[in-house]
Amino acid sequence: MTGQIIGRILESLAQLCLLLAIAPLVTGVIRALKARMQTRRGPGILQPYRDLYKLFRKGMVIPETASWIFAATPWIVFFSTVLAGLMIPMVAAEAPLGLFGGVLAVIYLLGLGRFFLALSGLDTGSSFGGLGSSREMTISALAEPAMMLAIFTVAIGAGSTSLTQIAGAAIGQNWRFLAPAQMFAFAALALVLIAETGRIPVDNPDTHLELTMIHEAMILEYSGPNLALVEWAASIKQLVLMTLLINCFWPIGLQPTWFGFGALQGIAWLLAKLLFLSCAIVLIETVNAKMRLFRVPELLAVAFTLGSLALISTFLF
Amino acid sequence: MTPFLDMQIGDRVITLMAALVLVLQIAMVSQRWIVVHIRIFAAQSFFLAMIAATIAWYNHAPHIYIAAALTLVVKVILVPILFERLVERMEIHEEIEPIVNVPLSVLISGGLTLVGYVVAESFYKPGEPGLGHNMLAVAISLFLIGFFTMINRRKALTQVLALLSLENGLFLAAISLTYGMPLIVELGIFFDVLVAAMVLGILVYRIRETFESMDVSRLRRLRG
Repeated sequence: MTGQIIGRILESLAQLCLLLAIAPLVTGVIRALKARMQTRRGPGILQPYRDLYKLFRKGMVIPETASWIFAATPWIVFFSTVLAGLMIPMVAAEAPLGLFGGVLAVIYLLGLGRFFLALSGLDTGSSFGGLGSSREMTISALAEPAMMLAIFTVAIGAGSTSLTQIAGAAIGQNWRFLAPAQMFAFAALALVLIAETGRIPVDNPDTHLELTMIHEAMILEYSGPNLALVEWAASIKQLVLMTLLINCFWPIGLQPTWFGFGALQGIAWLLAKLLFLSCAIVLIETVNAKMRLFRVPELLAVAFTLGSLALISTFLF
Repeated sequence: MTPFLDMQIGDRVITLMAALVLVLQIAMVSQRWIVVHIRIFAAQSFFLAMIAATIAWYNHAPHIYIAAALTLVVKVILVPILFERLVERMEIHEEIEPIVNVPLSVLISGGLTLVGYVVAESFYKPGEPGLGHNMLAVAISLFLIGFFTMINRRKALTQVLALLSLENGLFLAAISLTYGMPLIVELGIFFDVLVAAMVLGILVYRIRETFESMDVSRLRRLRG
């Protein structure tokens, strides 16, 4: 019993280190690949680490009008995202904190972070913050139903909302990824991933242009270590959602446990799959132009319809 | 048993392609650019031809190959080229403006798919073996969404495209129910489609010439 608990703690620590370490790397790789696709040289893939290091050593400016919410938000966002990251299977099919909650807990932990981020955008009283919060909430209110429908489809296939079981069921069946329900759910979740991580057809992560920014508008008032925490949390959230997508639908190389030589193999597989997904994201970002804000609901309506088709076809096909 | 003879794998492949056809139909509803719309129609017809070929392969019915080849030639190559030329000649640059806005149209299409499934359910006999038993549901959905798109569009050319995707639904239903109609009927239908596409193309061009617009709601006025 004690051994089990210690094992669980070790697993959590290992996944925590992995999560914190590779999240900025994924962001860096996506940026570098995108620069290459657009025939720019761009910063190196380690640039996000340098940015974080620089920000953590700077002082910060806190607006006079800000309340405690402004100070607490970076921590809440950071920890809720990390906690969500510990509840998903990354290297082993068994999620380290899987016994505290399944996929619904993951989604709502991310939702909690988003809620506080939106509150802090309103808190400072700057008009950009409010604008960003309102846009972010509009998009997430439309993205969440689509995500839930897609996740429920996967959960019905596995007979459980526990991510450990979902990943386990996905390992078992070879032909399952060709079933229409899985394909619809994958497409819906991929669209939601793009919307939730603020990627190009929905939001541009590289710009601070007033008219178009969504995520950046909310965190405009943050500086120094607070900004570093928020940025780091954003890249961890992106990693969590990407891992969720690849391990639910494409579980090749997922190990049964964290221990032994298999873990290294598992990490290698994870990195390879993340690289593949990053390439796909970069491709989408490069060939698409940013949508007008009022067109975004159209994209998410497509995601929602795909999600509901997925759910319908689990029962009918 | 090799995968090329295994019925179960054939069934999965057909189901997957039928799902793709359905997704492309919904993509057509949400599409604003007419050239992309034409290309999506071509892609949809391509998958339809592949479904027909797969059914021909697993049922050892060589005459369906002819139907598949005809689909490929007429709907994937000829009709899209015809329409793209028409678009080029009429210099259409404006976007498609649906009557119901796009998010709602997409949601309505999703609802129509559900109706399609419910209707097809009553045709389905449990325990009956066969390939792609759910294709009928997809076919009815294509049919309904095609109808809806026709009602939902103002411009004549997009209505014609909707009509053709509706015809795709008919083809799918025919193939899934009968595993291929007599060849002479198939030939008749394809000839019909080709002639319809050409005649409608000319008609659309004339409407444009006479009324300086393809908007069918302007056809109420009399012009000499």
